[in-house]
Amino acid sequence: MSDAVDTSGAAADGFEPRITAFVCNWCTYTGADLAGTSRLHMASNVRIIRLPCTGRIDPLFIVKSFERGADGVIVSGCHPADCHYTSGNYHARRRFAVFHDLMEFVGVDPRRMTFSWVSASEGAKWRDVVDEAVANVRALGPFEAYRALAPEDAGVAAPAGARVEAEAS
Amino acid sequence: MSEVREVARKLLTDGTVRVIVGWEDARRGARPVFVTDPADTERLIFDTRCVHNLVTYLNPRRDNVAELGKIGLVVKGCDAKAVAGLLREAQLTRDDVVLIGVRCGGVLEEAELPKAASLSPENVAPRCYGCDNREPELVDHLLGESQPEPPRPVMTIDERVAALDAQPLEERWAFWTEQFSKCVRCYACRQVCPLCVCERCVAEKSRPQWIEAPPHPRGNLSWNITRALHLAGRCVDCGECERFCPVGIPLSLVNRKLQHIVAERYGYTVSDDPESPAPIGDYRLDDKQEFIK
Amino acid sequence: MSRIGVFICHCGENIGRTVDCEAVTEALKDHPGVAFTEDYKYMCSDPGQQLVKKAIEDNDLTGVVVAACSPHMHEKTFRRACDQAGLNKYMCEMANIREHCSWIHEDRGEATEKAVDITRTIVEKVKHNQPLESIHIPVTKRALVIGGGIAGIQAALDIADGGHEVVLVEKEASIGGHMSQLSETFPTLDCSQCILTPRMVEAYQHPNIKLHTWSEVEKVDGYIGNFTVKIRKKARSVNEDLCNGCGDCQEACPAKRIPSEFEAGLGNRTAIYVPFPQAVPNIPVLDRQNCTLFKGRRKGLAKDACGKCKEACLKDAIDYDAEDTFIEEEIGAIVVATGFQLYSIGREQPEGLKGYGEYGYGEVPDVIDGLQFERLASASGPTAGAILRPSDGKEPKTVVFVHCVGSRDSEKGISYCSKICCMYNAKHAMLYKHKVHDGRAVAFYMDIRAAGKGYDEFSRRAIEEDGAEYIRGRVSRIFRDGDVVKVWGYDTLSQEQVVIDADMVVLATAMRPQDGVRELAQKLSVSTDEHGFINEAHPKLRPVETNTAGVFVAGACQAPRDIPDAVAMASATGAKVLSLFSADELEREPAVAIVNENTCIGCMNCAKVCAYGAIEQREICTVDGHVCGHVAYVNPGVCQGCGTCQAVCLSKSVELQTFTDEQIFSEINALCYWE
Repeated sequence: MSDAVDTSGAAADGFEPRITAFVCNWCTYTGADLAGTSRLHMASNVRIIRLPCTGRIDPLFIVKSFERGADGVIVSGCHPADCHYTSGNYHARRRFAVFHDLMEFVGVDPRRMTFSWVSASEGAKWRDVVDEAVANVRALGPFEAYRALAPEDAGVAAPAGARVEAEAS
Repeated sequence: MSEVREVARKLLTDGTVRVIVGWEDARRGARPVFVTDPADTERLIFDTRCVHNLVTYLNPRRDNVAELGKIGLVVKGCDAKAVAGLLREAQLTRDDVVLIGVRCGGVLEEAELPKAASLSPENVAPRCYGCDNREPELVDHLLGESQPEPPRPVMTIDERVAALDAQPLEERWAFWTEQFSKCVRCYACRQVCPLCVCERCVAEKSRPQWIEAPPHPRGNLSWNITRALHLAGRCVDCGECERFCPVGIPLSLVNRKLQHIVAERYGYTVSDDPESPAPIGDYRLDDKQEFIK
Repeated sequence: MSRIGVFICHCGENIGRTVDCEAVTEALKDHPGVAFTEDYKYMCSDPGQQLVKKAIEDNDLTGVVVAACSPHMHEKTFRRACDQAGLNKYMCEMANIREHCSWIHEDRGEATEKAVDITRTIVEKVKHNQPLESIHIPVTKRALVIGGGIAGIQAALDIADGGHEVVLVEKEASIGGHMSQLSETFPTLDCSQCILTPRMVEAYQHPNIKLHTWSEVEKVDGYIGNFTVKIRKKARSVNEDLCNGCGDCQEACPAKRIPSEFEAGLGNRTAIYVPFPQAVPNIPVLDRQNCTLFKGRRKGLAKDACGKCKEACLKDAIDYDAEDTFIEEEIGAIVVATGFQLYSIGREQPEGLKGYGEYGYGEVPDVIDGLQFERLASASGPTAGAILRPSDGKEPKTVVFVHCVGSRDSEKGISYCSKICCMYNAKHAMLYKHKVHDGRAVAFYMDIRAAGKGYDEFSRRAIEEDGAEYIRGRVSRIFRDGDVVKVWGYDTLSQEQVVIDADMVVLATAMRPQDGVRELAQKLSVSTDEHGFINEAHPKLRPVETNTAGVFVAGACQAPRDIPDAVAMASATGAKVLSLFSADELEREPAVAIVNENTCIGCMNCAKVCAYGAIEQREICTVDGHVCGHVAYVNPGVCQGCGTCQAVCLSKSVELQTFTDEQIFSEINALCYWE
């Protein structure tokens, strides 16, 4: 999927994607912890929201993230058969398959939505998932198309990066 | 349609039901009618103008209908699937209703309703093409003659979905955001849907608010995605949402796409068998997961 | 208005090296709802925790965010500190700026920016945290053990010795299970009866154990700590209170040629019978299927065709009109120990299994299975321990043992290894050689799997000391040829065809779960695997628990197990049950789902996705008590807090505490917080 995307690095305009990751507590969150304890360096664009299980994740969390200006989303949980809660990931898999296909039908580039299974021992895989998602979204550019849907008075969607300066000042 | 009248009269006369919900003749085609007096059963009709999915009156939230007493309902194949949906989700028990099934060979498109009664590629409701339930099974009475397959419309829904699928992402995005931007959030699609049974729709939930309430393109997209997802594997393709949409959003395309998704991924087609499990809420160990890394 | 304290940890240099902790503190200082900020070198140290506690007290904080390491590392630590300072511990959350930030980024600017985001996100979450209290569930301190084999007996004894009542239910007339049929046990060759019988008697006489034999579990309601179990006591036709086990009825019974289940069909029993002499309880049961009197009654004879046992009984304990009775027991925990059965060598096979036509479907009388050999070798068996073949009672001079019959043979319907056969085949070869010194024992094997204490030594002994011939390869055909049983096989090591004229063949058939285990699993809301074995909750970390809280599993109903395994599992379940019974109430984390009854429409889609059966339908009534509908109810004693129900709920009428929609939405909003 990513082969059509330029993964060579930052775009010329300094665009830094904002990516929200919804991960389960038992596998991917712990896998991301392992990436940390293993000091695996990765792109800093991903912000993690911890949930008990992928089964807990409503597709509308993803819609909400896009609404709020995310350029990409990651959903990650336990591999099939490894779910801490036995079957939450199986239910999530169906829900996200349908959501994935529907969003594609509506015209959302699927490369903005990364779904993965990352176990507690796959710190390196987590790094790869993060880096690939960031590269994909970086190549696709900011999700202006979604932000353009915002009502005019909402006061949202300052360009990415603007906040950093505001904070630094 | 004397058979329907006869069965209805008998059910009312012997007290099996207190009200029959069916169709009657009206100036602009057929319209739903509630018959409580056996003498009034003469008003009942069934022909290609009877497009309405009357199962929406079985919605447990419509308690003014329930107050009339036990219902006898006239159902086409697609309507029977909606009854199965309500049974599947414990919104109804089979004893709550007597189902008078009618063999159906398709209905007319909305614009054609007042006029011709026989179907042609030009006037048939496109969703009827390829119907797999012309003779509903989940019924107490099955009436009418065996019907031929509905004619192939000039452009089928599947062809329209395929045409959209063939477009680049940006054009699909442009198409849908334009369509959804028309939405005025009247929720007619929801009100008429036989399976939108929630007492408090997620669209009306606050704290937290799931869907922005004002009708602007962003909230409209969220609403339409949510509506579609909530009906994934549940939609019976009765076409009522699109028919009632005052701004003409082609909801049947979204509904059909979701039918394709659950059929291709899970081999699931919605039926009027209430025992068959819905695809969302069920799983197989080897479900397709090509989109997952 | 929230008053949240934000505590930023440097973790020595671990965070401070890449994250500018002062800048994070500064960024959070004026964040709405933040009342206190502080950074410190080691927040988890005692002075660090003191700092948190003092800040809570001094500033009247309503919430605490510790920006430090992973919550998996120190969430408990800081929640405890909050608790000690009088702040509800569920008002404390951790922002992971170490594993998820400082350790994986190099650029100080990027890392600091991200640390601010992460911390702010958690602050926004904590604004919507609710003070929660642990859930307390009363516990009935009585256990039910289903199955009275060695696993069930062991579990019952352990729990009973721990001081709690046990109800032990066994479907057969006696406890003891398959172990009571064995001659000697590997790897020590001690007599099975000798080690088992005392346990059986102990279980029978234990003041804390209430034994129901010839009984089955009919229905299970309730949840952990609070089950109600209905037990069917099948009509025994013998009054257990009156019978003194004298055996006169068996003597009197005219139907004496009924194949004995205990003797694996190699011996006979009467219609009224005690399955074996050491049976516990020593009370007969009347087999109505084979009883002359009941046969007559079924034919509609006006007068009873027999009645000899009743005449013979001096205690008047025989009751031909006895019917099944039901009893209800209040139970706090359940141990399932229903054991196994062997893959049938006959033509009749259950669905999914094919059987062995090439081995004559067991129609050659001198082709027997492992349990039959046990009975032949047993001193109390039909031949009093002499190895004599079934067809003509001659001593077989050549015996072929075939491993993996049914096991590891997907073609025949079973892919798994039955685990015990390599060992008992070695044992059989030894027992045979010990009894028939000039005999020849040949074993066809696929691999020798002898992992266990003393196991490899044992199977080597069979070969090296007792001279059993082991041929690596499968047997392709077994058939009768005059007086001998021809065995065609293939030696894969020498790559030669092997033909053996055997006098007897013993098939090591696969271990399968007992019939009816799926139905029982359904009653208990536990799952079974494709073969019908009961699924454990986690294959490594929760091997004796099931997905239903309060239901445990021991022995061969979970997977093929040998005796030491089964006993170890049984004692493990005993420990689990005793720890559950150690307090009057069960305390659980409040991370459970709660249904909003005002908006729930009772579609029960949530119940369909709940892996724990925690959700049930509950009727709701109007003020005058009239039932007006139903809603879903999540049993907090059973809920494990995954939240899958919440995601499928269309009307958003169920909320998982500690991960509510409002908390998550606040996090999403905070992440995309544009200034």
